[in-house]
Amino acid sequence: MTTAKRVGLTGLAVVALGGCAAYYAAMVIAYKPDAPDARLGYLIPVMLASLTVMILVGFQRQVHRSAGSIGNQLKQLKESDEVGLIEVSDGEELVSVATPLNEYLLSIRKNMNRLRSENRELQIQARIAAAEKHHTEAIIFSISDAVIVTNRFDELLLANDAAEKLLGFQLSSAVRKNIDRIVSDGTLVRLIRETRSHGSSFTRKVVEHSIDSKGTPRTFSITLSCIVAPDEEVSGVVAVLHDVTREKDIARMKTDFVSNVSHELKTPLASIKAYVEMLMDDEAEDEATKAEFYEIISTEADRLHRLIENILNISRIESGVVKVVREPVSLPGVVKQVLDVASPQAKLKGLKLFSHLAPIYYQVEADHDMIYQAVMNLVSNAIKYTPQNGQVSVTVGVDERRGISFCEVSDDGAGIAVEELPHIFDKFYRIKANNKLAKGTGLGLTLVKHIIETVHDGKLSVTSAEGNGSTFTFELPVIN
Amino acid sequence: MSVKKILVADDEAHILHVVSMKLRNAGFEIITAVDGEEALELCISERPDLLITDFQMPFMTGLELCTQLRRQDATRDIPAMMLTARGFDIEPEEMEAAKILAVLAKPFSPREVLQKVNELLATVGAEQE
Repeated sequence: MTTAKRVGLTGLAVVALGGCAAYYAAMVIAYKPDAPDARLGYLIPVMLASLTVMILVGFQRQVHRSAGSIGNQLKQLKESDEVGLIEVSDGEELVSVATPLNEYLLSIRKNMNRLRSENRELQIQARIAAAEKHHTEAIIFSISDAVIVTNRFDELLLANDAAEKLLGFQLSSAVRKNIDRIVSDGTLVRLIRETRSHGSSFTRKVVEHSIDSKGTPRTFSITLSCIVAPDEEVSGVVAVLHDVTREKDIARMKTDFVSNVSHELKTPLASIKAYVEMLMDDEAEDEATKAEFYEIISTEADRLHRLIENILNISRIESGVVKVVREPVSLPGVVKQVLDVASPQAKLKGLKLFSHLAPIYYQVEADHDMIYQAVMNLVSNAIKYTPQNGQVSVTVGVDERRGISFCEVSDDGAGIAVEELPHIFDKFYRIKANNKLAKGTGLGLTLVKHIIETVHDGKLSVTSAEGNGSTFTFELPVIN
Repeated sequence: MSVKKILVADDEAHILHVVSMKLRNAGFEIITAVDGEEALELCISERPDLLITDFQMPFMTGLELCTQLRRQDATRDIPAMMLTARGFDIEPEEMEAAKILAVLAKPFSPREVLQKVNELLATVGAEQE
C-alpha cells in the first residue's frame, strides 16, 4: 500500500472519528442541555490531534524501517562484493525509490558481468602469450648456434647461452642496451644495423664472417632476418651465427687429401709409364735390364694397388661396411711377419730393428690381415721417421691381470710436438715438420686407429717428445 | 762440343733411375741427388748444365732449391726444369721468380723429357753464344 493511500485512509478515519465525536456531542447537548459544553468543545480537537500524531509517528516508523532495511541490504551487498537487488515488500514505504534503484543496480550488474568475462578472456590470452614467449625463449636457448635478437633501436632484446659465450656478455646486464655497447665485433654490429635499416624489402641474408673467439678465429655463417610487424614496420633483427669452422676445415682437408692422394697415386704410375715407354723404345740394352724394368713395373703396380686399398679400407671402416674375419690370432706371429717384410727397409737406412716377443700361446681374437696392416703401418712409420743409425724396437707382451695383449712400437726418431699429438690420428693430418722426412697421405695412423679401436674394440695410445722418438702402443683382449 | 752434365734430383729412386738412363743413353753425363739439400750442394760443386728436379722432396722442395740457386753467383745461371705431380701447387709468379724454364707433369714420358732437355740446352746455348 502506498503512502498516498495511507494518507487518504487516515483522513477518512479522522473524518469518521470527527463525525462520531460531533454526533456524540450533539446528542449530549440535546438530552442534557445544561451540561457543561466547554469540556466537550476541547475534547474533539484533542482527539483529532492525538490521532494525527499517532498516525504520523506510525508512518515515520514505517519509513525508517524501510530505509534501514535498504541500508542493511546495501551493506550486505558491499560485503559480498556482488551486485544484487534490493528487496522491498509491497506494503513497505520507499518502494518508489527501491524500484529505480534496482533497475540501476541491474544495469551495473550486467556491465560488471560483461567486464568480468572480458577480464577472464584477457587473463587467458595473457597466459597463452606468456607460455608462447617462454616456449620461444626455450627454443632460442636450446639452439646451439648463437642467436641474438634486437629491437628497432638496435637494442638487445634476447640472446642465448651460445651468443653470450661467443660475444662475451651477460644477457641480464646487457638487455635493452645498444648492441654497439655489447658486441665488440664491428662487422656484426654493422650487419645488424644494415639489416634493420634495409627494412622489410630485405628480410634475410646470409653472410660468412670470421669472429675472434678467445684468440682463435672461427668462421660463422650469419643469417640475418628482419622482424616485420603487421604494419610492415621493421621491429627488430634476429641474427643466427652458425659455426662453420669445422665444415671449412673438413672441406680444406678434403682438398688437401685429394691433392695428396693424387700425388701419391701419380708417383708409382709415373714409374710404370716411364719404364713401359723405355721398354717400347728399346732403351734397355740387355735382357737383365729388361728384367729389371719388368720387376719395377710390377712392384710399382703393387704399390699403387696398396695405396688404393688403404684409401678404400679407411672409407669402408668409416662407413661401416668393412668385412671383418675374426679368428684366434697370435700377435707375436703377426709382428714377426711384419718384421720379416720391414727389416730390409730398416737395413737399407742403417737402422737397428729389435723385437721382444712374448711366448706365442697368447692369442687375441682379431682379423689377421687388419692387425698385420696396423702393425705394418706403425713399424714403417717408425722406420720412416727415424734417421740413419737410429733404432726401432717392437715389443709384444701380455698383462695377465688385465687380460690384454699389447704391442709396442718405439723409435728414437723425430718425435711429435706436444701440440701436434692430439691430431696425429686425424684423417689427412700430417706433421708439417716431418713432411720433409718422408712422404705420406696422412692416412696410415687413421687406419691403425680405426683397425684397433673401431673394428677390434682395442686401445691405441702414443707417447712422444719432439726430437726424442715416439712410442705407439695398442692393446687387445686375449682369449682365455 | 763437350758432353753436357745434367743433375737429376728426385726422392723417388725409380724416377731417378729411369730419367738418368734415358738421358745417359742419349749421351749426357748424369749426376743424381735424392733430396733438395744434396741437389743444392751438387749444383755448387758440380756446376751442371741443367737441373731437372722434383717438387716435393725431403729437406727442401724443388722450388726452394731453385730459389736458393738464384741467390748465388755460382749457380744463378743454371737452367732448371721441374718434373712434378704437383704442378698445380706452384704459382706462375713463383716459377718466374725461381727461373724455372719448364714444368713436366708426372706421369711423364721419358721421350718428352729428353726432347725438352734438348730444347732447353739449345735455347740456353744460343743465348750464351
